[in-house]
Amino acid sequence: MITKKALPRRAFLRGVGTAAIGLPFLEAMAPAMTPAAKAPVRMAFFYVPNGMMMDSWNPTYEGKLTEMPRTLKPLDPFKEDILHIGNLTHNTGRALLDGAGDHGRCSGSYLTGIQVKKSLTEIKNGVSFDQVVANKIGKETRFPSLELGMEDARQAGDCDSGYACAYTNNLAWRSESQPLPPVLDPRALFERMFGSGQPMTPEEKARQAKYRRSILDFVSDDTRKLQSTLGPTDKRKLEEYLSSIREVERQIERAEKDNAQIDPKMDKPYGVPADFAEHFKLMSNMMAIAFQADQTRIITFLMTREGSSRPYRELGIPDGHHPLTHHRNQADLMEKVRLINTYHVQQFASFVEKMKTTQEGDGSLLDNCMLIYGAGLSDPNAHLHEDLPTILVGKGGNYFKTGRRVMARRETPMCNLFLTMMDRMGAPVDDFGDANGRLAGMDLPGLDLA
Amino acid sequence: MQFGRGKPAAGAFFDSDFQSVDSLLAVALLHGLQGKSECRVAIVTVSRNNLKVAGYVDMVERFYRGPAAVFAQVPPPGMITTGDGGVVSPGLTEPFAKKKADGSPLYANRVARVLDTGDPSTLIRNYLQAQYEKSSYFVLAGRATNLAVALDFKGVKDLVKERSSHLVIAGVESFLADPWAARKVLAEWPTPVTFVPDEVGKAIPFPASAIEKEFPANTPDHPVAAAYAAWQQMPYGASTTALAAALYATRQKEPYFKAETGTVTVGADGRLGFVASASGKHTQLSVDPALKDKVLAAYVELASAKVVLPQRFRPPAAVDPVKVPPKQP
Repeated sequence: MITKKALPRRAFLRGVGTAAIGLPFLEAMAPAMTPAAKAPVRMAFFYVPNGMMMDSWNPTYEGKLTEMPRTLKPLDPFKEDILHIGNLTHNTGRALLDGAGDHGRCSGSYLTGIQVKKSLTEIKNGVSFDQVVANKIGKETRFPSLELGMEDARQAGDCDSGYACAYTNNLAWRSESQPLPPVLDPRALFERMFGSGQPMTPEEKARQAKYRRSILDFVSDDTRKLQSTLGPTDKRKLEEYLSSIREVERQIERAEKDNAQIDPKMDKPYGVPADFAEHFKLMSNMMAIAFQADQTRIITFLMTREGSSRPYRELGIPDGHHPLTHHRNQADLMEKVRLINTYHVQQFASFVEKMKTTQEGDGSLLDNCMLIYGAGLSDPNAHLHEDLPTILVGKGGNYFKTGRRVMARRETPMCNLFLTMMDRMGAPVDDFGDANGRLAGMDLPGLDLA
Repeated sequence: MQFGRGKPAAGAFFDSDFQSVDSLLAVALLHGLQGKSECRVAIVTVSRNNLKVAGYVDMVERFYRGPAAVFAQVPPPGMITTGDGGVVSPGLTEPFAKKKADGSPLYANRVARVLDTGDPSTLIRNYLQAQYEKSSYFVLAGRATNLAVALDFKGVKDLVKERSSHLVIAGVESFLADPWAARKVLAEWPTPVTFVPDEVGKAIPFPASAIEKEFPANTPDHPVAAAYAAWQQMPYGASTTALAAALYATRQKEPYFKAETGTVTVGADGRLGFVASASGKHTQLSVDPALKDKVLAAYVELASAKVVLPQRFRPPAAVDPVKVPPKQP
């Protein structure tokens, strides 16, 4: 006779005040004597700006991934989880009579597959594919989607040859005129993720600050109660999960303290770390937690905005990223771009590692994810919109046969990949953007995508 | 001086099965017209499932367009992947064996597999999106499959109506090779359609002497001339139906041919019928004997014209981004 009651998938640790912490997938959530509940598939997009040095991105071979190209070396330990896809194209990123402005177009249309309107005031795009999915499955999680980023940028004005900044500074679009600006501040994200949704009163904020209490302290009673009902595996999993939240909290506190000391007038939200890698780590740790606790299944992440001229002094590169990419085939400038490309991948690899080492069911959290890392331009010097740098990391619920370099036919719409991903997310649609079909064959080992 | 003011010349879309050398001559003619700023060759697509054909057409296109450059790319070869590939003429294979003085290949074939090509209907859609209003036209010399499939893409019918002005179809037999596509294009193509019957091409054969004299005099090692010479035993006069279609499509106002209005239908027996009527939505061309010499002179002058590479305002890229990575063993 089955008497044990399963823990709901969307259970929270609740506490006094405004704390509400979602839980990771626990064995206790699978009803006893029934096959284990299937973990949901999640997807995330990591967009890097200004294209890529393609000679260091594309492998010189096809088939099984062996020697990783230079830019992707940081992902070498995870190559068995990577599908390196060639020849995907965004035709809507091209000029198509609209003249200059490849940066504005390529990011604006990256997730929409729509030719954006060249205008500073009359914003017109399409609903991005992450939001199409969010509209279908978003009700199953606390947040239908999360939009995150790293670079503070204005939302109004001209960011590229007459294209509004809304196109370069956002990936996700709720409607054809409404972008979803990314959250940059880790503290804001933390409070969004672990708050109850109710704003904290000034008194509560003051009390939390005064006693420097962790969010975990507020849910300690609930935590103890839950732990008493869990088996040893779940107990360990819960402890690891709560530790990771505590670690994020400490990182945010450290960043806020450092910021206050370094430059109180800096043009950044209070909690944004000055260090790029530290900022990424914080944001990506929270992304991992959001996926682990099934708080959302959809994340878009704008590493820096398209056309970004951020210098990378941490790499000894004082030049702006975008100007460098118009390198005119000068070896020294090209080398600097390669270093920046690799640096970005290095950050992403730390997130992949976190996902890979987080257990979920019989496998890893990464097994149930589709992480797209890519750019809206390939060769930035020539502003090419074909053969866009694209890797898919994770097996999307043990669907994709990863560990390979596969080629689509030339000019295959990127939206074909999106249609396939929508299927995996349980949100199939007949048509999207400029797709001419689904990107078939990614579940078949050794098959070209012809 | 400023560039880019006003509309450029109309974009020419050429889709063919390349069953005859006539189609290659038509590509040469369109590029000749481009050299005179009378058109821009938007894209050439192949309606035959044959990599050798696509490889040769791609090579010819690269010959005319020059290497890829910053902001000036060579479109990938579009090739259908259904249907019978058919027999390939030696005209599309033998020239690849030609060598330069240093022993390197005179012409490089970059199409080794389907992945080196693009879907032709998608390419037609994509390049059509880059045309100004009513500033492009289509020339079809072969089965209509690529156009018919493109018509089924979301928004393409409206795009054709908005961006292109007319379609000219060369030859009847090859057009009917895919009856479904022929019926669909006849019924749904949203611009005026003109037919050039095979008789028009047979009546004005292309002179072999032009292959031996004008082509090499204007452009040495011309790949279209090389294909012509290898297509069959020289000297011979190839039919010029596709040339007629390309010439008429670009210079519609020039009185090269007689034109009759009527309606074309594909009958249940798969045959094409034409009924003349003033209210018909189709046009059919025929040869005007008095203008034969004028037409022939235009064919030779334009097809053999000295190659003019597209103008560029930025230096070419050091590396052509089109690469074929070797298959891993």
